[in-house]
Amino acid sequence: MRPHAGAPLSRRRFLSLSAGGAAAGAAALSGCALQVAGAASGGGGESITVMAELNDLGPELIQQAQKELGIRITVVKNDITRLIAMITSGNPPDLVRGLGALDAPYFAARGVAENLDPYFAKSSILKVDDLDPANDLWRYDGKTQGNGPRYGMAKDFSQDAMFWYNTSHFDKAGLAYPSETEPITYEEWLDNAKQLVRRKNGQTTVYGGSYNGLGLGILFTNLTAAAGGSLFSADFSRVDFTTPEARRALAWYVDYAKTRVGPSLIQPNPDAWDGPTYVANRMAMSGNGYWLGGMIYPEPKVAPVSRLAPAPVFEGGPRLSSCQSATGLWMPKKARNKDAAWRVFEWFFGEAPAKARAEGGWGIPTLKSLRPLMPDKEAYQQRVLKTQQAELEHFSVTPFTPYIKWDALEALINQVIPAAMRGEISVDILAGRLNSTVNEQMKRGKEQVG
Amino acid sequence: MTATTVTPKTPASGARVRVRASRLVLYTVLVVITGLMLGPFGWLVITGLKTTPELAASPVHWLPDKIQWHNFADAFTQIDFLGYARNSLIISLIYATLVTLSSAWVGFGFARLSAPGKKVLFGVLIGSMMLPQMITLFPTYLIFAKLGMVDTYWPWVLWGLSAAPYLVFLFRQFFAGMPRELEEAAIVDGCGYTGIFWRIFLPQSWPVLTASFVIAFTWSWGDFIAPMLLLSSDRTTLSVALMTSYVTPSGLPVNNLLAAGSVMYVVPILLIFLVAQRGFVAGMSTSGLK
Repeated sequence: MRPHAGAPLSRRRFLSLSAGGAAAGAAALSGCALQVAGAASGGGGESITVMAELNDLGPELIQQAQKELGIRITVVKNDITRLIAMITSGNPPDLVRGLGALDAPYFAARGVAENLDPYFAKSSILKVDDLDPANDLWRYDGKTQGNGPRYGMAKDFSQDAMFWYNTSHFDKAGLAYPSETEPITYEEWLDNAKQLVRRKNGQTTVYGGSYNGLGLGILFTNLTAAAGGSLFSADFSRVDFTTPEARRALAWYVDYAKTRVGPSLIQPNPDAWDGPTYVANRMAMSGNGYWLGGMIYPEPKVAPVSRLAPAPVFEGGPRLSSCQSATGLWMPKKARNKDAAWRVFEWFFGEAPAKARAEGGWGIPTLKSLRPLMPDKEAYQQRVLKTQQAELEHFSVTPFTPYIKWDALEALINQVIPAAMRGEISVDILAGRLNSTVNEQMKRGKEQVG
Repeated sequence: MTATTVTPKTPASGARVRVRASRLVLYTVLVVITGLMLGPFGWLVITGLKTTPELAASPVHWLPDKIQWHNFADAFTQIDFLGYARNSLIISLIYATLVTLSSAWVGFGFARLSAPGKKVLFGVLIGSMMLPQMITLFPTYLIFAKLGMVDTYWPWVLWGLSAAPYLVFLFRQFFAGMPRELEEAAIVDGCGYTGIFWRIFLPQSWPVLTASFVIAFTWSWGDFIAPMLLLSSDRTTLSVALMTSYVTPSGLPVNNLLAAGSVMYVVPILLIFLVAQRGFVAGMSTSGLK
């Protein structure tokens, strides 16, 4: 740069001092920056990186792992952008959190997940015959989910189409309680919700029921299966919302949203999810599985009047009771320390952390041998457990597509469906729009996978 | 008949009444606006003092039946609050200090020196403000990964040394308004541009330095994306820990703890602003950005 006036020397000094100052500042300040205390402690031994939510592997568990296994765990926040960046940079995490029901086919089909069958075969802690069928959601044979190699394992699970209900609201409405052994139909569920909802001055004071699944994509996948069909084509490369079964599922949910008996995109729950609303006695039925008991049991007013009911069925449809998440861990194929990662995997799913989770009531343990640890001290817990154990007989895997990430599917549906919920378009038009929007995205996914 | 005496209003007392009335209106408006501004923060504090069922109650429980002070204690102990706060503080101090100095230097160059293409370069710099952070996330990670800087605080050092376009603009505006005579007198006395910057311009720019530091500190303190992308859980910042740690075992938010933690999270920013508000306001107004 040319100064307005003055000697050229000062310009050079200006530039050289800029560079010198920058270097000195960096050196001086980075020294203290790199040494910060936190949850993980240092020390020798092996170390692995786990991509998870920070509460999955909190400081206590990390210290416990270091003490019991001699392995130092570094946790990085679960995030798809960071996962892709880490894989691309050639330094993936050694274990990654994922939803078996939705992520397993996606990552297995792209060849980034490690086949864990050889590890299971050698394990004395995680024996294959002790694995609950819910772990089959982590299997993928190259075509469909539920068969083939295991790519991960669930930490716990629920049959997410089941629903909890609060008997006090049924008493007030003079309605008979839903059976705890035989499923009601989806139509009956909606009729009940219409009679249970309470409004005052245009505000909903008590939701009749909430039924949103773990997202609309997985909900429609399961509702269509419950109606006797499949949302996906045989090769999972396309969706079809216009089949009679998918249309029936779509029509039921649009009716649910239109009648405003429960939270939906056009009537969002200010609490963001069912748990706080249900324990505040403001929701008569909540379409969540056993895991919600972890939230209900500590509430003395709500727990004794809460019951768990089987997953509803569609009239004439099969009785299915699937799991929509199966949250757990998988191992990237390019993980650097697979043996240490597997030791942490065994410990997390089969030892102290798994036992603690089983006792908490936040899900069904994924090892059959841990089921006796599920909470059953109170009469209402025993009642819930009895219903849950009977429901396990009806567990099934509803395969999901590998050609679209579940949250992308969710976003596409969320863009299109509100118009139908508000009555601006018919269910048939909605089905057509969903087909074109989603299939366009799935076509790109199919091209990526090949 | 009783005679009543009425004291006639003097022009002076009438003016006083008008002044008082206008002040009353002004203060009422100010109180209402202040209430509106403080409302969300007040609601956050109240939310942090409620039980979970109270949060979801209908009709709304405006105030908690029994104040749950323990929510604040729980929010403090459920995570290593001080540890994460220290991480946030280190990162924010590094970034705010370096970026303030580097932006001042760059701003000085744009304001007081001339060179071919300066205007274009300045346009490019300002144009880069339009680039969303999300777009650069992925390449940013790859660059820092190649340099071995992931899970270190080096990225904040480098970002700090790189200057920030908005702050450069702030400094440029401020320095451009300083009299040419100051610069010319210094040159006559044998001072070069480095000396002019350090000895004359920078000491006079404390308001804009304060404003820049407060802005940069607030950016960094509130940043979620960069620490989430680049740091592990034991080195991450309070913003990431807050968003991800006050959850049920299923990962769903526990809103009263989140609110209590958030109140404590914003306290340092409020304190910094209270201490530096005079300089901050002066800095924004003297740089022509008011």
